[in-house]
Amino acid sequence: MRPIDANYNSMATTNDLSSEMEVDAFRRLFPLRFHERHLLESIRPDGRPLGRARDTTVMLGAVASANGSALAKIGSTAMLAAIKLEVMTPTMEAPDEGCIAIDFHMPPICSPLIRPGRPAEVAPVISKQLSDTILRQAITRNYLVDDSASFSLNVHCLCIGIQEKKTKITKRMFLTSSSFSSHLYKVAIISEIPHLSSGMIDMKELSLVSGKAAWMAYLDIYCLDADGALFDAALLSAVGALSHLRIPVVSLNDDGRIVLLSDDNAVAMKENEPVNKEKRKLNLNRVPYSLTCILHKNYILADPTSEEESIMETFLTVVLDSSFQLVSLNKPGGPGLAHTSAIQDCIILTRQRVGELQKILNEAISDMEID
Amino acid sequence: MAGKASATPATYSPSPTGHRKKRPPTLTDSDWIRPDGRTVHQCRPAFLRTGAVNSASGSAYAEFGNTKVIVSVFGPRESKKAMMYSDTGRLNCNVSYTNFATPNRSQAPEPKDLSSMLHKALEGAIILKSFPKTTVDVFALVLESGGSDLPVITTCASLALADAGIMLYDMVASVSVSCYGKNLLIDPVSEEESYQDGSLLITCMPSRNEVTQMTVTGDWSTPKIHEAMQLCLDACSKLGKIMRTSLKESASCPHD
Repeated sequence: MRPIDANYNSMATTNDLSSEMEVDAFRRLFPLRFHERHLLESIRPDGRPLGRARDTTVMLGAVASANGSALAKIGSTAMLAAIKLEVMTPTMEAPDEGCIAIDFHMPPICSPLIRPGRPAEVAPVISKQLSDTILRQAITRNYLVDDSASFSLNVHCLCIGIQEKKTKITKRMFLTSSSFSSHLYKVAIISEIPHLSSGMIDMKELSLVSGKAAWMAYLDIYCLDADGALFDAALLSAVGALSHLRIPVVSLNDDGRIVLLSDDNAVAMKENEPVNKEKRKLNLNRVPYSLTCILHKNYILADPTSEEESIMETFLTVVLDSSFQLVSLNKPGGPGLAHTSAIQDCIILTRQRVGELQKILNEAISDMEID
Repeated sequence: MAGKASATPATYSPSPTGHRKKRPPTLTDSDWIRPDGRTVHQCRPAFLRTGAVNSASGSAYAEFGNTKVIVSVFGPRESKKAMMYSDTGRLNCNVSYTNFATPNRSQAPEPKDLSSMLHKALEGAIILKSFPKTTVDVFALVLESGGSDLPVITTCASLALADAGIMLYDMVASVSVSCYGKNLLIDPVSEEESYQDGSLLITCMPSRNEVTQMTVTGDWSTPKIHEAMQLCLDACSKLGKIMRTSLKESASCPHD
């Protein structure tokens, strides 16, 4: 900052700062004006049009010691997700179901704002959002009673976003509780939700021996570089890791414990029938994809960088699944108001983005299968 | 975190059947065959790259076999409020492991210990006078632990410091050697580390020929220590060259 301060002092003597100041200094001193001037020209400081997301890559199998892993990059935002499978005793309520525990971490390497020992405030929020998005089956089951069920599910999803920042939202949220459902109904119509059924993962696929053993999948997502749109990148890496997951061949030994079967001892262990006969992957239904947009005045900026996020503070995250059905819609407060038309535009942008992301993920999966 | 761990049901990772992992018999006449097929005096191929994290002042990624580490450097920046005034700069180091770094979840070594070891290894190489009153933060994240973690972290951190433009006397390179029977195994993997009789770690500044850190643990004879030190120092100077090359590469083409 120091050289720029010096620059500022020398410039203060002239009357018109913006015409003579260096671009970089202007950017740091008047970030909002800097960005708004770009927006007038329908372009962003990094040269993107407003509705375009940054270059995105997914690499599967980045962590050799995990059962499934993926590295996702959106621009410079990088997320590493890995799944470790462990064996647990299933609960009495669901004896033939496994479990997935999702955790999102922001280690101090990822951003200058995070210091060790003081976890980032956003980390638990994103963690919760990810769990809600990936494990939405649990919610669905409770609500799938009649035709209005799919609708109440969406209310529930939205409420998640609201409860998290309740204090901030009470006044700023554009919807009062009475108008909430009618607006939401419009949203529901836009994305043409016929019916929401089961979730992304069937937990029964994680079962080993009914009532005795099931897989506990620990999905840990680490942010390696934080440059905006953290939730989008985290969700993409989580989905990548889940599609890379291979469940190993195991059998039940005499002590009632699950043991790995490798090729060398497969013959010796023949008397113990393998519980999981071959390496298999999970079937993923309705894979969720997301896009975060900034709402600033009349502009909608897709896939913001951390600089844009720090200057313009109203976000809207839309999650659609692979058949373009709405999974969740989250507007965590912020000073700006969201009009229904803006929400519609965001959903349209997300639909385009889902197509892009599906292509990227499918390419990553086919690359891996060739190797 | 402790409360959270107890709330989840107790889980275990399935272990391979049949053979229990046991220490192979101490070899006196033949050479130990290393699990990754190297000769005893051969290091793992090193991959080093700077600029892994854009939001940091400097960063580096290191991959030695299965050991994968990212180090970010922030600063020099304002010291914590509680800190007293200081003429010289401060160095702050922190090492953490991902939950999936080790074969069994949450079996990671004590990062507090590693943090202070890293601090001591780097301290001597940094010209602290060049940034008075401020702090340089060195944060390391071990993505995957595959043996010789501390030497890899130290090497990577030193490269990240250079990438951040922090004034250094020289970059530090770090290599460890395990003593196992009659054999000296350079750059051991986790499996070899678990069998070892003793280990020796040297962190040095190759072009000044100065050692910033040396630790010896376990069972050693004096001639063995001499031999191991020479091995380490030779490897350090080779590693130093690799570090220099990767730094030059990033300087000649800053953004790929």
